[in-house]
Amino acid sequence: MFLEVQNIVKHFGKEQVVKDLTFSLDAKKTLSILGKSGCGKTTMLKTIGGLVAPDSGSVQLNGADITNIRPEKRNIVYLYQEDLLFPHLNAFENIAFGLRLKKIPENTIKEEVTHMLCSLELESQSQKMPNQLSGGQRQRVSFGRAIITNPSLLLLDEPFGSLDAGTRYRMQGLFQNLSQEFDITSLFVTHDLKEAVLMGDKIGFMQAGNLKVYTDKEEFIADPATGVKDEIRFWGGLER
Amino acid sequence: MKLSWKPFVLSLAVLLILFPFVYLVLLSFASEWRFPDLLPSYFGLKNWSTILSSEAGLLSSFASSLVISLSVAIVSTLSGFLISRAVFYHPKKNTLTLLAYFPYILAPVVFAACLSFFFLKMGLFGNITGVIVAQFIIAFPYALLFFSSFWNQKVKSYEDLVATLGGNRWQTYLKVLFPLAKGLLLICFFQTFLISWFEYGLTSIIGIGKVQTLTIKVFLFIKEANYYYGALSCCLLIFPPVVLLYFNKRYVFKKLV
Repeated sequence: MFLEVQNIVKHFGKEQVVKDLTFSLDAKKTLSILGKSGCGKTTMLKTIGGLVAPDSGSVQLNGADITNIRPEKRNIVYLYQEDLLFPHLNAFENIAFGLRLKKIPENTIKEEVTHMLCSLELESQSQKMPNQLSGGQRQRVSFGRAIITNPSLLLLDEPFGSLDAGTRYRMQGLFQNLSQEFDITSLFVTHDLKEAVLMGDKIGFMQAGNLKVYTDKEEFIADPATGVKDEIRFWGGLER
Repeated sequence: MKLSWKPFVLSLAVLLILFPFVYLVLLSFASEWRFPDLLPSYFGLKNWSTILSSEAGLLSSFASSLVISLSVAIVSTLSGFLISRAVFYHPKKNTLTLLAYFPYILAPVVFAACLSFFFLKMGLFGNITGVIVAQFIIAFPYALLFFSSFWNQKVKSYEDLVATLGGNRWQTYLKVLFPLAKGLLLICFFQTFLISWFEYGLTSIIGIGKVQTLTIKVFLFIKEANYYYGALSCCLLIFPPVVLLYFNKRYVFKKLV
C-alpha cells in the first residue's frame, strides 16, 4: 500500500481526538472521509501531514516511515477550506510559490505554471491579485499551487466548504480531472454526503475520533451510521 | 453673496498650528533678539554654521542620536516581531503579554534610576551602548505589544501551508510573514524610532551627560537660556521624524487604507 496509517492516537489535554486510527490507501487513489464537525478529521489530516505530532502510532508513505519527519520534508500538501492565497502575490506567483521554494530554474517555472494555468482554465487571470478573483478561481489557484509541486499525497480539508452549490459542483469535476491528469493520491475530507460518494475511490466514515473505511460503496450505503439510508428515504418520500 | 466664515477659521487654525514651527525656524536664524525689539539684531546663517563646527557639538549629537534611534528601532522592531510570534504560540501567552506592560508601570526616570546599579556593574553607564540598551528596554515591549495583534490562526495556517509546500522557517519569514507584515513593520519601526529619538529621562540618567543626544542638547540649551541654539537643535530634532512621516504616509498608509 502507498499510504499506511497505523494505530495513530492523539489527545488534546484530556480529550482523545483521534482513537487508534488505522487505514491504508493505494497510489493514485482518493479516499473520501465523511464526518461531522469536531469528529477529529482535521487533526487526523494534520497528523498525517506532520503539522500535529501523534501521541503514538506511525505513518508510512511509499514504504518509508515518515512519522517523525518534519512537514517540509514529507512532500505532503495540506489544503485548507480557506484558499489561503498569499495576498501579496498574483495568481501566477501563487501557483509558482512551491516551485520557487525548491529553487527550480525560471524557465521551467514559467513553463509549468503556464501549463497549470491552462489546466485550471485560468490563463487570462494569471496577473490578477487574489482580491480580484472569485471564490472558485481562488480555490483553483490554491489547487494549482499544491498540485504543481507534485506532492506524494494531497490532504484536502473540506476544500469546497465555502463555495456556493454551482461552483462546488464545477470544482468537484475539476478536481477529478486534475487527479487523473496529475496521478494524485489524496485524502478528501468532507461533511457533505454526496461529495464523499462522488469524490472517493474509497469511502471512510469518521465518528468521535474513529475512522471506518468501507470496502465498497454498497457497504457504505448499507451502514445506518453514515446517514445514506435516511437521505434516500427523504428524497424517495419527496418523489412519492 | 453670503460670506462663509469657514475658510477664515480654517486658515486661522492652520496658522496657529504652523506658527510654532515657523517661529522655531526663524529663531534658529536669529541672535540678540531682545524685548522690545521687533526684529532680531542679527538674522543669518551664523547659528546654522555652528552645526559644522565642533563648538556646539550639534553635528555629533545629531549623529549619535541617529545611531541610537536607528539601532533601537531596528533591533526592537525585528526582535518584537520574532518574539511576539513565540509569545502567541506559548501556552502562557496572556501572562507573558501582561509582563510586557511592566516597564510602563514606572516613569522612565524612576525606571532608569532602578536600573542604574545594574548598568554601572555591567559597564554600560555613560556610553552609547548603555543608552541603546536602556531605550531598548522601553521600545521592545512596545513592539511586542504592537505585533501581538498580527498573529492569529490564519497566519498560523499560512505558516503550516508553507511548511507542507516544502518551505523552511527562513523561507516562511522571507517569502510570507515579512511581506504580510510589511506595513506593520514600517509603522513599528517609525514608532520605536520616535520613542528613542525623543527619549529624555532614561538617556539623561544612563548617559550621565556623556551621551548627548539632540533631545538632551535641546534641554541643555534651554537651561542655559540659549534659545537660538535651542531652536536650531529643535529644527534638527524634527527633521528625521518629518522624513519618516513622509515615507510612512507615501508608502505605508496608502497601502493600508
